[in-house]
This record gives sequence, C-alpha cells and structure tokens, in this order.
Amino acid sequence: MSKSDITTPAISEQLSSLLVDLLRHLRHFLAVAEELHFGRAAARLHMSQPPLSQSIQRLERELGVRLLDRDARHVALTDAGRQILTEARGLLAGEDRLRALAGRFRHGEAGSLRAGVPPDLGGRAVAALLPAFRHRSPVDLKLREIGTAEQLRALADRSLDVGVLRFPFDVSWLSLGPVLTSPLGVLLPRDHPLATAPDVRLADLNGLALVLFPRTTAPALHDEVLTTCARHGYTPTDVHQAGNPEFALGLVLAGGAVALHDGITPPPDAAWRPLRGNPILWRTSAAWPRGRRTPAVTAFADAVTEVLTAQGMRHAEGTLPRYPRPAAEYLS
Amino acid sequence: MTAARVRAAFADAGVTGKLHAVDLDHPDRELSVGADDPVVLASVFKVPLLVALHHSTHDLTARITLDHDRSTGPTGVGGMLDPVTMSLRDLAYLAITVSDNAAADALVDLIGLDDINHTLDELHLSHTRIVHRARDFMRTMAEDAVPAEPPAALTDPVVLSRLRALDPTRTNRGTARDLTTLLRHVWQHEACAPIRRNMALQVWPHRLASGFPFDDVRVAGKTGTLPTIRNEIGVVEYPDGGRYAVAVFTRSASTAFTLPPADAVIGTAARLAIEHLR
Repeated sequence: MSKSDITTPAISEQLSSLLVDLLRHLRHFLAVAEELHFGRAAARLHMSQPPLSQSIQRLERELGVRLLDRDARHVALTDAGRQILTEARGLLAGEDRLRALAGRFRHGEAGSLRAGVPPDLGGRAVAALLPAFRHRSPVDLKLREIGTAEQLRALADRSLDVGVLRFPFDVSWLSLGPVLTSPLGVLLPRDHPLATAPDVRLADLNGLALVLFPRTTAPALHDEVLTTCARHGYTPTDVHQAGNPEFALGLVLAGGAVALHDGITPPPDAAWRPLRGNPILWRTSAAWPRGRRTPAVTAFADAVTEVLTAQGMRHAEGTLPRYPRPAAEYLS
Repeated sequence: MTAARVRAAFADAGVTGKLHAVDLDHPDRELSVGADDPVVLASVFKVPLLVALHHSTHDLTARITLDHDRSTGPTGVGGMLDPVTMSLRDLAYLAITVSDNAAADALVDLIGLDDINHTLDELHLSHTRIVHRARDFMRTMAEDAVPAEPPAALTDPVVLSRLRALDPTRTNRGTARDLTTLLRHVWQHEACAPIRRNMALQVWPHRLASGFPFDDVRVAGKTGTLPTIRNEIGVVEYPDGGRYAVAVFTRSASTAFTLPPADAVIGTAARLAIEHLR
C-alpha cells in the first residue's frame, strides 16, 4: 500500500503513450459522440476545437476506421463508431474503476492489515482493539496472537505489517508508536504477611522465589527484570519459569514464591499488591518496519494507544539517571 | 552446527550478532554468521584509520598539539583537560588501547577520510566505508535525539530508532568478513606491526578477551560501542602457532548502557568459532 515505485522511466513512458493516450482519445471520442457537436464537446472537455479534431483523427488513424461522418453542419456516428462507442464506454468505466481502486490503496482504504498482538494482551484489549481500528480505517484487520520474538521474525520476513511488541527488542530497523507502560505488582498467597500491606518493596521479598516467564521466550526482558530486582535489593531464592498464568498462580498459592502481575483482573484466590515506586514496568508499543508506514498502520498504532491507555497503561515518562561507564567509549 | 550454536549464544545473551572467524594461516578455514551483512563499526573504525596511517608517508614520530577544541570522550586525551602535544604513533596507541576519540579524530583530520577509504579500496574492502569521525557520530546522536538529551535519551528506544549513528547506510560501516580481511592484512605486513602491538595492549577485558581466560593465549583486539551496539575485532593466538582473526558485531535488545552478558557473549561466540576452526 506504499506509493508505487516505478524505477524504469522508459517503461513507464511507453506505458503512458500506449494506454493513457488511447484512453484519452477515446474520452474525446465519447464526448463528441454524446454531443454530436465538436464545439460543445470541446467546451465540455475544456479544450479548443482544433486539438479535439486532431485527436479524433489520430484515433481513427490508430484504429484504421472512420468513427464519425462530419460535414459543415452535422456530426454523426458511423456504424463502426456506434459499436466502438459501446466498447469505449466499457474501457473508460474500467479505467475509472482502476484509478479509484488504486486511489483507495494509495490512501490506505483498501486491502488488509496483518497485525500481531502478544498473547498476554488480554481478551478485553483485543475485543476493544477491533472496533477502535474499524473506527479509523476501512481495511480488513487480520489479528494474530504471537509473542514479541515471533512478531519480530514475521515483521522481518514481511508476513506481518505491524505488531504490538513488548520491550526490549532491537529497534534499529523499526519505527515505533508511543511507548506505553504498565507498572507491575506482585501476586502473593492471601495469608502472606505482605498481603495486607498497602504496597510492597522489592527488598521485602527476600526469602521468596520469583515466578517468571521462561527465559528463552525473551532473554533480554528476563534479565532486565532480575537486574531490576537486584538493583532494589531483592535476590530471589530461586527463579521458577512458568509458561502460563495458571501454572504461575499455582506456584504462588503453594507458598514460598511471588509472581509479577499488572493488577488488571488479578486472580481472585491470590492477593495483588503494587510495588513501591513502580520499579518494574512492562513497556509496550506498536512497531513496524521503518519506511513501511501506511495509513492503516497509523490507524492501528493509534487504536493500540487508545485501547491500552483506556486499560490504564501510561505514556512512558522521564527516565532514571543514567551513568555510562568509560567502557561505553563514546560518552564522557 | 557451530553457526547455530553461535546464534543460540547471541540469542541467549539478548543480542543479535554477526560473526566472521578465519584461520590466518589457512584462510579457507572460516566460519560465517551473517558475515556479509552490513554492520555499524562504531570505534572499530579506528583500525582502518591506523592501517591508512601506517601506509601513509607521515612521519609517525612527528608531534602535534591537541588543543581545547579537540574531540571528547571518556578516555585518553579525550578525557583530559589541557592541551596535549604527542607523536602520531602515541596518538595511535591511545586511539586503539583506550579508544581515545580525541587521538583518533586528530589522526583523521591529519590524513583525511578520503585517504582511509582509498586504503580500503586498495585492500578491496568495498563494503567498508568511513564517512564520520568520532565527533561526527557524537554530533548526529545529539541532533537526532532532540528534544531529548544524552545520555539518558540514548536509552530511550524511540530515540534510538531514529539515530543515524545506528544505521549502517548512514555512518561508518563494514561487514564482519571485510574486517577479518583487514586483520589478515595487519597481521601479514611489517608496516602494520605497531597496530598489532597496540591491539595487544588494548585494556578492555570484558568482550573478546573474556572468552579466552587462558594465560598462554594472546588476544589482540579493538572494541566498538554505541547505544545497543557492542563490537570487537581481534586476533587470538595459541601457543601451538594457531592464529585466528575474528570479528563480532552485536546489537542488544536492551537499551541499558551496562549489560555484562552482551559484552561477554562476544568472547563466547568467538571461542565457539575458533574451537570450530582448530
């Protein structure tokens, strides 16, 4: 749906002289045939009469038949002209449809958009995303539920147009929508002493294991979470890898472990508590390959922002102080 | 098989990487992981700079003064406060051993970007181009980050997605294979002996060298670093005479400045590759 890229001028010029000229002459012929008067036809075409006459003569030469009988006072269609007029109307209507269709693609109003969303986005978000997109774009939205790593592969091999990705990932070849954050809290057994505290410090969790998604699914995020825990004084006794929320919940309820959760519809049999200072954030944004933004991609990115913001996610704001070390080589 | 293990090591460290390793004495023995993909060189550009310097007619003992308007950086003359007068070969030493931006840019200003690229042409390294000095990519990063400001801005993924300095088509670029070819040249030619010495004296232990924690194995290298980019090229020499050039270029998913596993995987990947060649 991006702008067409015609790289061979010679070919495009040939095409235009073959096709556009024939269609242009046919359009002139149509006007004369309908008006049966060169002066009125010329006025309707916003041109003067001599080039219109020449145009009809060229068309007759090109087709090798007379289309019009003309004398000093009258213009009439020949038998060939009448039959060719029917075909010309069909061709010109086809051209109109072709141009309109191209225009709809050009403006991102036709075709389909293949979009990825992460499995943990939640049913409600997905349900809200479809109407939020339809409201903005007439193209057909094809949603696939796939994780960040797989979305990156699909964006790279062009089997996906846009994705909703969880940071961190290599952004060097991507363009990003607004980055939205959701602070994470912890799920605790209901009878845990911390379950009644208004919030929990990460350091309070020492002595407990941490339930986290499998490291192989997102090694960088996995390490980022553990680094943040360490930064805030929490070293889990163990890190359990849980691929689905039910298993994670089971490990929490069994005691001795906490799991991270965004607090949106936490499971009723566990206690959810926010972390003081929101040290751990999920960061999410729409992303698409650089240079492949289309109106439909924009509509999707806007819809994602609207839906996730309505869910309580916030625009990323401010960053922590950052102190690069000398091995960074480039900053002083 | 080994290539798959190298890719898995990159993925496990949260990076994507390109690698080329070649036996210096049997160049048909090699390992490639995306070795012909374009990569951002970052400070690795200081190696082609030095190769051009050592093939130039400049007197390497001539001294020049780097005044207050020189390029800056965290190390070497780039981090000093007062004017410094130094020989070209000592500037070269600092440019390689501590990645001194001021020293490197002073040498580029002396010999010119065209001469560096001309040297690369003569070595048939057509995928490698030097279009920026260190201060140029610092400048483009600050320009592209606006309105945000470095250093914190350089950990913001949205800012990083628009940095020219991270786009191989718009900054100093090469391929892993081109850079090991350059290293073969450096290790073959007597004129390049001082470059070999300088690379062996590089201070950083956290990348290529970390993969070879063996006192009897020598590692000579030059790192390159930009936001999310961690590179090193070098030569690893075993006491049995085995010598291997390796070039590793990575990009991390995380935008954190301090990311030890992403540094260390450069050594891990290099050792996997070199063990495959031995």
